[in-house]
This record gives sequence, C-alpha cells and structure tokens, in this order.
Amino acid sequence: MSQFAGIEVTAEMISAACDGDLRAQETIYRSYQRPVYSLIRRLIARPAIADELFQDTFIEILRSLRSYSGDGAFGGWVRAIAVNKCLMYLRSPWHRSFAYLDADENEPIADMLIDAASGPDAQVQARNDVELALASLPPLTRTVVWLHDVEGYTHGEIARQMGRTASFSKSQLARAHQRLRELLDPESESLPCTHLSTIC
Amino acid sequence: MHASIDHLLSLRDGQPVDAATAAHVEQCARCSAELHKLRETRVKLQSLPQLDAPSSFQEIQRAMVRPAAAPRRLVSARLVAGLAFVTLTSIFFVALRDETGPVAEQQTAPVEQQTPSIDVIETARVPELVARSQQLENLLQNLPERPRIERVSTAAMIDTIEGRIQWLDFQLSDTGDSGLNEEQTRRLWRERVELMDSLVKVRYAEGGVTF
Repeated sequence: MSQFAGIEVTAEMISAACDGDLRAQETIYRSYQRPVYSLIRRLIARPAIADELFQDTFIEILRSLRSYSGDGAFGGWVRAIAVNKCLMYLRSPWHRSFAYLDADENEPIADMLIDAASGPDAQVQARNDVELALASLPPLTRTVVWLHDVEGYTHGEIARQMGRTASFSKSQLARAHQRLRELLDPESESLPCTHLSTIC
Repeated sequence: MHASIDHLLSLRDGQPVDAATAAHVEQCARCSAELHKLRETRVKLQSLPQLDAPSSFQEIQRAMVRPAAAPRRLVSARLVAGLAFVTLTSIFFVALRDETGPVAEQQTAPVEQQTPSIDVIETARVPELVARSQQLENLLQNLPERPRIERVSTAAMIDTIEGRIQWLDFQLSDTGDSGLNEEQTRRLWRERVELMDSLVKVRYAEGGVTF
C-alpha cells in the first residue's frame, strides 16, 4: 500500500499554504517528508542525488500548490511530483554519465543505500537484505517494481510516466522479481518454474 | 507445463490470465508456491521502513528563497561569460574564414560557424563530451526567458533541435540495455554537444544578441 495513502491534509491547510502561511507549509512538509524521501531513496540509490531531488521536489510542491485543483487525493498529487523528479533524473543523460564515470570506482551502488546503523536483529537484517536486493536492480527495473508493487501504479500508468509501453513495464517487473528471487532466496534458483518462457 | 513468471504476476495482481493457466496454478504445488513467494516479496517491499528526510523545513525554505535573493548577479555573470565565449569564438571563426575563404562565405548562418568546434570535439572522449554538454546546458539554463512573441521559423528551429536532443537523451539513457559500444556512445554524445551548441546560438540570436 502506498505510503502516501491515509495522510490527511485539509483543504483549508492547502489554501493557507498557498497564501504563504509558513505554519501550513510546514504542516504539509511534516506530513509528507517521510513518504516523499522514502520514495525518492528507493528509486534513486545515491543518497546525495536523492537528497537533492528531495529538496527540489518540496520546493516544487510548495511553489506550485496553486496548481493543485482539488481533484484526486492531495497525496497522489505530491507523489506524482516526486515520481516525475526521479524519472526526469533517470531519463537525463547525466544519470548515465555518472554511472559511466563511476564505473572505475568498484563501489557497489547497493552499499550506498543501507545506512550503517543497523543492528544484529534478524528482522533488521532481513529488511536490509530486501533493501540491498532492491538497490542492486538496474534503475529502471527498480523504479518499475517500486511503483507497481508498493505505490500501486498500473502498468499503463508506469508506461505513460516513462514514455514506454505497458509491455516494457511488465517485462521489467518480471525481470525485477526474477532478480529479487535470486538474491533473496538463492536456493529457489533451481526451480524451473520462474523462467520467463512459458515452458519450464 | 508450468506457469511463467509473467502469468504468475498477472494472477498475483488480479490481471486476466487464460483459464487453463489459472486452473494449472491452482492445482500445481510448485506454481502455487511460486505465486506465494511473489506475494511475499511484494509484502517485504511494502514493509520496508520509511526514511527520515535529510533536510528540515527551514532548509527547504532557505533553498526556496536563495534563487530569489541572488539571481541577477549569478545570471548576469554567467550570461556575460557565455556571451564572451560565443563572441570570441565567432570572431575567431570569422577571422579564420577571412584568411582561408572568399568574402561571401562569411555570410553563412550562425549554426554553420560551429564547424571548427565540431573538429575540436571530433576526437574528444565521452567524459569530455559530457562535461562540454553540461557546460552548454548550464549556459542555456541561465539565458533569459524566451520572448513571448517570436518568429515562427526560430520557434520551429528550436523545437526541432530540442526534439532531436530529447531523442538522443532517450538513446543515451538506454545505453546499458541497447548494447551500444563506447564508440557509438561517444558519437551520440558528440551529436548532443553539437546540437546543444546550435541551440545556444539560436537562443542567443532569438534574444536579439548578435555575435
């Protein structure tokens, strides 16, 4: 279930924030900072870039509050801005060029996503495993699986956002689960049923 | 014949799947287990904890105010640097043409004046092309806003160049998946630099700046 669901911000609050009321703007910020940042960090593995996108996202949210028509959930509108920022970054050639320039660093990108403050607790370890597995997916694949499985986007919506086809989204989702399975449940690799072909 | 991962994902998400596959998954222990694992993975992803943002509201506010506080000096400094660069480059090329070609050749369009700079980037490597492209991008971002009224031909030219750049960006964003080798990637970046260069020149011309 989307982390944006269930957050209540009243129309009066939005209207006051539109008029420059700092308290109202701060309330909106406090309500949405965690889901917005979590979404961005899951899509963009590099913390420095994610932090920058987070700031850009909130600046845009606060500056364009007037363009929120009131149709649809406010959380959905906020989320759309965050997703757009991430996709714009992923589409930009700078993203690829950084990957190209970083190629010599031998620094697994997944390591950057996990914060060091995790204890020995088994549950924490399991969560970190999922986090690492997710971060090790290629950026577009990771974006598709997160938007689909966590944020609840349909393949059609993902395709529109990415300028691709629904088939692309479906194939990326299948690829993501194939890879996640290999990483999270290595012994199941031998099962013949998870291959992409229709015949095992 | 077991169900494919596509079919299992469709079943998991309540998408239509042919009746034979659905019936098979219901009866097949292995496929049912696979379907269960796909559901589990989704739950694991959904259960990942939320993360606290690194910036406070005050930092966001400061970032919002920052561009408004010192925009003119920043823009004008960059604009002057950009103008100086374009003007010097143009003077250099015109002088070069004076020495090597007939007078009539001096009246060629501004976009054509970049030919020698294309020679310069001809042998550049990808990181250099990326850096040059980013430099031009920054220059472009700091240009004044486009005029509300402009020539159709200029607008069309800008649209064409921007469209071409977008197409290149699309290709470049897919270099990993599309199997482009380094030379092909380099060519795409070179073309992007050339187009960005042209776009900057057209935008300067559009703003009434002569060079």
